[in-house]
Amino acid sequence: MKLYIKSYSTYIDDGSIDIKKELKQRYKLDTRRQDRFIHLAVYGSQLLKQKCEINEDDELYLTSGVGNIDIVQKTNTYMYKDNQSLKLFDFINLLGNTTSYYVAKSLGIKGKNIFQISDNFTYINTLISAYCSIMASKKDVIICSIDLSSNPENISKRVMGVKESCEIKSCVSYQKFSLQSEGAIGEIEFDLKESLTTSEDEKPFETYASFVLNSTLDKKENLEYEDISEGKKRVIKIKSLI
Amino acid sequence: MVNILSYEIKHAKTLGKKVLENGVSIPFFALEDEIKQNQHEIKNAIKEVVLKVLPKKREKTALLVGTSLIDWYLVDAINDLAYEEKKPYTSQKRSIDSYAKDLSLELGLSGFSMSINTACTSSANAMLEAKNLIEAGLFEYVVVVGLEVYSPVMSSGFYSMELLSATKPKPFKEDRDGLVLGEGVGAMLLGKEESSWELKGGFSNCNSETITAVSSSGEECEEVMLKALKNCSLHVEDITAIKAHATGSYANDEAEMNAIKKVFKNPPEILTIKEQIGHTIGASGVLEIGFLMNMKSKSKNGMFMCNYFGFGGNNISLIVEKKA
Repeated sequence: MKLYIKSYSTYIDDGSIDIKKELKQRYKLDTRRQDRFIHLAVYGSQLLKQKCEINEDDELYLTSGVGNIDIVQKTNTYMYKDNQSLKLFDFINLLGNTTSYYVAKSLGIKGKNIFQISDNFTYINTLISAYCSIMASKKDVIICSIDLSSNPENISKRVMGVKESCEIKSCVSYQKFSLQSEGAIGEIEFDLKESLTTSEDEKPFETYASFVLNSTLDKKENLEYEDISEGKKRVIKIKSLI
Repeated sequence: MVNILSYEIKHAKTLGKKVLENGVSIPFFALEDEIKQNQHEIKNAIKEVVLKVLPKKREKTALLVGTSLIDWYLVDAINDLAYEEKKPYTSQKRSIDSYAKDLSLELGLSGFSMSINTACTSSANAMLEAKNLIEAGLFEYVVVVGLEVYSPVMSSGFYSMELLSATKPKPFKEDRDGLVLGEGVGAMLLGKEESSWELKGGFSNCNSETITAVSSSGEECEEVMLKALKNCSLHVEDITAIKAHATGSYANDEAEMNAIKKVFKNPPEILTIKEQIGHTIGASGVLEIGFLMNMKSKSKNGMFMCNYFGFGGNNISLIVEKKA
């Protein structure tokens, strides 16, 4: 399977930018009733929007290693530890597709919009789903990959299958893909093949393959990248076209 | 052509009650065999229905789950660390998709699993995704699971939005006063082998006036119904009956009925299911099509439009055909 990359954006959240403030002041977006996970996803979408044309009927897939940990922690605390009533917008933000709703709104997309998680190789499996979808629809597709480090960060680590010493980060990456090569800046090949590996999974975030794709295109390089999950590996082949 | 080769659904038979954390009693459609909110019981509930539909060629089969369940692996990780005496560090790759991944390995399936969370459209979207995977030639079969179990958090959320009925679901009725949640689990095997039921296709979008509701004119619902017909090369006259989303909430029923009237000058039979099994949220895609198939099992043929409209702007219309 091969997809052509029309544009991409990546942002690693190192705390240097107040994302909520940036969304309000620079992009004039309404940030009320949203949380850190949604803000990060929307911020990444604005970075993509600056670089390419987004069509109303572009398809959108949003994937993550675990999803919005903060909101699960917050609602769990309210309900079971503090015995408080669930707040309305915390309930809404608890739903995975709430984030993809805000992303779609910020991009001006009114087409297909799927929030999905695969336990192993969530980014590559999302590439596969997106590829099969646009094979049928003949549209372009945008994939958002997002992981937000929890506070305390060991919550994230406990469900990532990594050592306690592993340094984890929050990151959002986007790509706009097409089946057509015209105007493409890169291409990516992927398949279902898995093989065993002795390498350990020490990714700083679950959707690291999406970040690697964008970094490779940034450097105008070609790369065969091995994504690793629970003793198995899958390969994606990245080729820069400019 | 992608067909529904077999299916298994488990849903509530009678309307009961649940008491929320705040002491409020709400009507609820509960399964006779309660599925507790823990990883083991949820996995077993999925396994039970998946085993009923598995094909012989398991290694050619993918597994997709549609659900709006909270990730209990994550809740456990939070509980292990954030509140109580900290437990020693352990780490295992876990997510809401762990049920599907573990079962895929345990049952000898292909290993490809995915869990989709688009609120009330979750398993309906999973069915359309499954169709794409089969048509692209990646898998011979896909098992699609719809799953929803009673969750105090979800129920409290709907209660705080004042969307719950105090009595019973009355879809499309003048005196409707809200929806009644339900739980259930179902599995559907899709593939290209011959079957009397075909998943013709559909259309899915993310378009709504607000994050929780489509506009009262129903224009977003109208769009998915019209585009579903177009994608399936069908006309309004081809539709035998509509399986409406029909939650029983005042605003959503009004929007859907307005949309139906716009799409169909002379609407066909309209079927509503939620008054019998409740609103099973993420599971409703698989459960309500399975329920429809049971209802129409003795019909010679028919073309059925199945609507689902959810929070987060997700709307989908699927079309299934019963063939002679």
